[in-house]
Amino acid sequence: MPADPFERLGIPRRFAIDRREAEEKHLALSRALHPDKQVGASPPERRAALSLAIEVNEAWRVVRDPIKRAEAILQLSGLEGEVGETREPKPSGGFLMEVMESREALEEARASKERAAVEAVVVSAKKQREDVEGELASRLDAALALPEVERLPALRATIPLLGRLRYAARLLSEANTARDEIDGF
Amino acid sequence: MPLFEIFDPKAKPRPIGIDLGTTNSLVAYVRDGRPVCITDCNGAALLPSVVFYGDQGVVVGEPAQREAASHPRDTIVSVKRFMGRGADDPETRRLGPYAFAGPEEAPNRRVVHFKVGRETVTPVEVSAEILRALRDLVRDELNAVGPVVITVPAYFDDAQRQATKDAGRLAGLEVLRLLNEPTAAALAYGLGKRAEGTFLVYDLGGGTFDVTVLRLEDGVFQVKSTGGDSALGGDDFDRTIAEELLSRANLSENKADPRVVRTALDAARAVKHALTDVESAEWVMDERRGTLTRVELEALVKPVVDRTIPAVRRALRDAEIEASELDGVILVGGATRTPLVRRVVRELLGKEPLADIDPDQVVALGAAVQADLLAGEQLKEAGEDVLLLDVVPLSLGIETMGGVVDKIIPRNTGVPTGARSTFTTYADNQTGFEIHVVQGERELAQDNRSLARFTLRGIPPMPAGLARLEVTFKVDADGLLKVHARETTTGKEQSIDVKPTYGLTDEEMENMLIDALDHGEDDLLARRLAEGRTEGERVLLATRKSIAAAGGMLPDEERVRIEKAIDKLAAAIAGSDPDRVRTATEDLDRATTPLAERRMNAAIAQAIGGRSLDEVAEEVEAARGVDSHVEEHQHGRANRGQGE
Repeated sequence: MPADPFERLGIPRRFAIDRREAEEKHLALSRALHPDKQVGASPPERRAALSLAIEVNEAWRVVRDPIKRAEAILQLSGLEGEVGETREPKPSGGFLMEVMESREALEEARASKERAAVEAVVVSAKKQREDVEGELASRLDAALALPEVERLPALRATIPLLGRLRYAARLLSEANTARDEIDGF
Repeated sequence: MPLFEIFDPKAKPRPIGIDLGTTNSLVAYVRDGRPVCITDCNGAALLPSVVFYGDQGVVVGEPAQREAASHPRDTIVSVKRFMGRGADDPETRRLGPYAFAGPEEAPNRRVVHFKVGRETVTPVEVSAEILRALRDLVRDELNAVGPVVITVPAYFDDAQRQATKDAGRLAGLEVLRLLNEPTAAALAYGLGKRAEGTFLVYDLGGGTFDVTVLRLEDGVFQVKSTGGDSALGGDDFDRTIAEELLSRANLSENKADPRVVRTALDAARAVKHALTDVESAEWVMDERRGTLTRVELEALVKPVVDRTIPAVRRALRDAEIEASELDGVILVGGATRTPLVRRVVRELLGKEPLADIDPDQVVALGAAVQADLLAGEQLKEAGEDVLLLDVVPLSLGIETMGGVVDKIIPRNTGVPTGARSTFTTYADNQTGFEIHVVQGERELAQDNRSLARFTLRGIPPMPAGLARLEVTFKVDADGLLKVHARETTTGKEQSIDVKPTYGLTDEEMENMLIDALDHGEDDLLARRLAEGRTEGERVLLATRKSIAAAGGMLPDEERVRIEKAIDKLAAAIAGSDPDRVRTATEDLDRATTPLAERRMNAAIAQAIGGRSLDEVAEEVEAARGVDSHVEEHQHGRANRGQGE
């Protein structure tokens, strides 16, 4: 990850990004730096442009992905030691029950080999991810807007939501894989 | 071509687009702003990708195809399916007439070797013969051959891409770029028709299947996702039909006879083509004949066509788009002429697919457009503001403990891209670390394509888990991967020998280049001088332009240093010592590196802020250079890997 992906793309550091703006910045930077635009440049210019183009693409990959974006915001705000799957606190009991239930549903659907059953899990995982993402967006950006003394604890309090977002994303990807298997991949 | 022509600045050779296809290959160039295919003396644009190794030498194209029936082993058809493959690849065991060199005969098992006549040849060499034939076609038409863009299936992995680039180099071509075939097709459609929106390209060629979802907007072609199967195509229709014909002719027992197999494959192809337009056709195999209906043919090939469906679904999902949201579907590749394919695509996507540009030519035409654009950039001419943003087709990763893959770069990541991962030792006093790079989506390394293995040695003895091994991946705009590894505990950079699992080493390439030249070493020296001069001239031109544009970004002292290096290089180019040219080019490179970094940082600031170069020049002056930034970026990434 570049030092600050938001800075690299020239966009404000927040969770609810203006996607269109970010996309336009990414394109403008690509127009300036992409190897296709540097064919006539000298080798040192091509090298410098390539390494910046790689950074820009990586920054875009981080900013575009809700989980990576949230991680980047928390890390850049001084919580780098507390973010990351192995560092974050274990999920609460109630949430663990939810996770186990949805996993069971996926396993049953997978075992049934019915495309529609797996599809239903895909739809529900998608919904779950959207809900968590919406909550994380409002809590993170509200925390970022707080005065400095209150900011860090408020940001720290969003970390469990990040964990839930990870679970939801993983469930969705496993449900998609299960559907691929039924489709013969 | 006499050497002096290369250096004549007035005779700018035309940039060329090449579609190096499984069944047929084509060349195209841009004439009066429009791409056109070059035809041979008979008016044919398609050069059959067939190479015959006979007693009288190598023959390519139509004449080679005529030899296929009588010399099935010495006539290589569909060589593209073997590009970047190992000698033990399943492809070598499918229905086909070839003889492959066994382990005792092949110089290295990492690549396929065909036994032809008394020699053995690799797919890279066979492909280079096809490229030479195309080059000759271009020379006949345009007198000189410019830099080329060669297309590859989007789903080609790193080894297959590298093999294609090697073939270009072996054929003496300057390869500007490898371009993904569906992207090339979109370029031909998009520029010709000024289309905007999201399109799906369904590309079923002779031996490969690609599906790509891309968005066209404002001259930007942004690939959203790509998928496919690099061993699925019209050839598989032919094989299935051939099996059926062999069984109908009671010849199934004779599958070991290459002549019978070749005849069956040819008969299958002929009857398949005939059934594109009629409902029933006759097949002929030597003295045996019979009738095949389109219904029967479709029942035979349906399973093959159905294999494309999951890849289409996944490409849509990866692009986060529904079929109903597509603005159009583009058909590419000769196999999409089969009515069944069109029906399946229409039913799957709910749209009548576009095929108004000849599906055989569209890829070459797009490649010509891209070659023209890139060469325009090379000369810094004002051109159309077109940008192609492509992706990595298959995830790249490293094998970790227990044979599980740690994905470093996921599929559909935009190129160029890079990533860095840190690994650690798992045993006390471990002094070596083997790194296995793989490509694919499966969880276990053994189920993916092996790209390279290398060992990092000389790690100082220390307890397990303490050493830090940093592995860097870089994927360039050709989709080609470069891997570097270093041990960071001691801070010592180590150079490592990356051995491609299924490719040629630099040394093997060098030997092939020498073999390919008529007079061996002497020619190689001449070629090195020629290449050095061309490169040197290009660097001089680029440097002069960047000095002229530098303005306040270039202090006098630095300017003097650069100008001295320019004079030295110009003098070396006028001389005849290739080593001197190389040294002078490297010196100029070093002298201009700080300026290049300042200029690129200025370009970035301008792109983000929309400000003029002069405005940002002063800020940049004070800012830290790219090097310090990259350094920081490296440390920022070093947080993944085993044991953490």
